[in-house]
Amino acid sequence: MSSSSVSAPVTSQPHTAGSAGEPVLELERLYHKWKGPKPPVLDDVSLTLRSGEVTWVGGRNGAGKTTLLRLAAGILLPQRGSVRMGELTPASKRGLYRRRIGFLSAGDRSLQARMRVRQQLDYWARLAYVPRERRAELVALNLQRFGLDEFAERRVDRMSMGQRQRIRLAMAFLHEPIVLLLDEPRNSLDDDGYRLLSEQIELAAAAGATVLWCSPRGEDRVLTSDAGYTLEDGHLEQIE
Amino acid sequence: MRLWCEAMWGIMRRDGILFMSYRTQLVSQFVGPLFAITLFYYISHLLAVKTFHSPGGYFGYVIVGLVIVEVLTISLGIMPGSVRQELVSGTIERFLVSAHGPVNGIIGTMLFPLCNAILSGVLTLVLATVVFGLPLAATSFLAIPVALLGVIAFMPFALFLVAVVMAFKQVAAASQFIVSGIAIVGGLYFPIGLLPGWLRWASEVQPFTPATDLMRHLLVNTPLVHPAGVELLKLVGFSVVLLPAGFMLLRVSIRYGQRTGTVAEY
Repeated sequence: MSSSSVSAPVTSQPHTAGSAGEPVLELERLYHKWKGPKPPVLDDVSLTLRSGEVTWVGGRNGAGKTTLLRLAAGILLPQRGSVRMGELTPASKRGLYRRRIGFLSAGDRSLQARMRVRQQLDYWARLAYVPRERRAELVALNLQRFGLDEFAERRVDRMSMGQRQRIRLAMAFLHEPIVLLLDEPRNSLDDDGYRLLSEQIELAAAAGATVLWCSPRGEDRVLTSDAGYTLEDGHLEQIE
Repeated sequence: MRLWCEAMWGIMRRDGILFMSYRTQLVSQFVGPLFAITLFYYISHLLAVKTFHSPGGYFGYVIVGLVIVEVLTISLGIMPGSVRQELVSGTIERFLVSAHGPVNGIIGTMLFPLCNAILSGVLTLVLATVVFGLPLAATSFLAIPVALLGVIAFMPFALFLVAVVMAFKQVAAASQFIVSGIAIVGGLYFPIGLLPGWLRWASEVQPFTPATDLMRHLLVNTPLVHPAGVELLKLVGFSVVLLPAGFMLLRVSIRYGQRTGTVAEY
């Protein structure tokens, strides 16, 4: 990792997003209720993510942050309300919608434990429909971006939690999405990892992507966030 | 289409890497059929049944049954198990957020086990021929397209079970029950003529009996129960009717999970 700590941020070609401040992803009046007697976890939640902006959403454990991100990513479909990216929604033109989304879930799941890091990224690039001509280049670029070069041929299950988090982040950024949805992205990262993450978020936003970052605590807020919200009792409140 | 194929190949390659990373699996894949063939070779020498003119007759008969059981166990047992494993390890999430999507992703997970099952079937036939002298018929090469058609006809059953896994998260007991049931009514170990009349109808309402009959006829020259054209038509008919239903059920089960929020639960 040390080699990456002295290098300049690794950049790639700009994202094909709209001009700064233009709405990219619109979540309107979202409602989601889990089975059982509990009240809805999201109740009439609206949020617009704009090109070039970084948005932070906080809230206590179980407040609904992960549900909000999963709805935005199209993993879940809204019980009420809508999720739109221009003409695209997670229910119609699903493939095109998902091509534009980079998603990082909380925790350390969703990795193929016995694959090598480079294989893992190549596998993801194929699922993300990265064309063959750009696959090797983007895999190499993202290994570099997250300081994974020296571990490229190591098996994932032989890596530390922080290193695994870097792989997961590399997958979220690899296909150059215009919407980045990051659920507790700082998990297990050391200072160097956090710096690399902040740099990549800034670069993505500068290139026109929009970033939604969720974490329970305010101190995890990324330095460059343009807007902050807390999620409580199913409602989203903007904070200063 | 090219991106779709490359994603499918990526999933197959992934499963191949995972399979090969457990080295004993490869050994057991070779040794397992050898034990089964040896067992049935000696059992066939104990039998004197009027249906078969010689012990070799039953041996050839049951070897084809073993090949089909292999494909069934993998398609109806291992495939839903693999999808359940994807849920437990959280790797299903990659399909849910990828351009390739969950339905294609799940179908992709079926490819490696299916190829593996076919290879395993071929290995069983080769071992039975080389080690135990099973005489393969001159029409054996025709068994390849029939086997492929059979696989297409079996696939909906795997899709149904995978859909159940996506909706209810568990299916192990049901798939075991179904494989055992098919082994009985499909005549995989013994002729369906030996079944009681009240059970024989079950042999006619699934694609396993015509596939097994045709494969046996082409590989070891066993007489057909029905004309070959009728058996083929049955296989095509089952595929045409059941395959779209299987895909639809899988889509519905994923949508259900996405609406209720249970899609990534395990």
